[in-house]
Amino acid sequence: MFNNFSMTELEVAEAHCDGPCGVYDPAQARIEAESVLQLTKKILDLKMPDGGDQKASAAYQNTLTRFIVIKEERAELAKHHLLVLWTDYFKPQHLETYPELHDLFWKSAKLCSAVKQEISLEHAQELMDNIKRVHEIFWETKGKDVAWFTAS
Amino acid sequence: MRQADWKDRLLLKLGRLRAVRVTGHSMRPTLKDGDVVLVSRSTRLTVGDIVLADHPFKHVTVVKRVTAVTGDRYELRGDDASESSDSRTFGTLSLKDIHGKVVCRLDGAG
Repeated sequence: MFNNFSMTELEVAEAHCDGPCGVYDPAQARIEAESVLQLTKKILDLKMPDGGDQKASAAYQNTLTRFIVIKEERAELAKHHLLVLWTDYFKPQHLETYPELHDLFWKSAKLCSAVKQEISLEHAQELMDNIKRVHEIFWETKGKDVAWFTAS
Repeated sequence: MRQADWKDRLLLKLGRLRAVRVTGHSMRPTLKDGDVVLVSRSTRLTVGDIVLADHPFKHVTVVKRVTAVTGDRYELRGDDASESSDSRTFGTLSLKDIHGKVVCRLDGAG
């Protein structure tokens, strides 16, 4: 007698999963940004062949194009991994401890765009410095002491 | 989770408890997909209580367990961590986001 409501009328409470694996690590962004830094150096160091040697010119164009394409890809991946950390890992209470968090991620994402547009060692290094700061904050929030290192 | 007795059903009839249908699997084994629970407006919460709360970033209501209380912030988790989106992803909630406490399961609803 007390259950005179239909199931369809009931309000619903979700006990769902967005599928978070809960595994995050700024190393993903660091690896991609480090690739961008190395590719920027390689592009700047690449010697243009003397005129007239068509084979050497083709090889140069091919190598330069590959460096540029990979730099574009890696910069985009660095941005992706940073945005995942920003939007999925970090939570409102982290901002209370690290008020610079939004600005750090916002500027880092913009640097990912800058290093695609430019051949800038300065911006590529600045992106690495920002990711190092993300690394420090991230592992502090996890209560773990994880040393910063680079592959190159 | 205990089942509703005649007093709970009376309180439901009087509007003192709300009936809410659970969807999803994050509260297994305590609550299953499709279970109907009765929720009180009580906001005197302690660790271990199952609560109904507003998701901070989506326009949905969620059902989760209180796993920690720090000041006026409540950490919520699903009982089945692998199936749950909870404070690990959306952070802690304040009391104003929490509708009330799940007091019992209403079997045979509908």
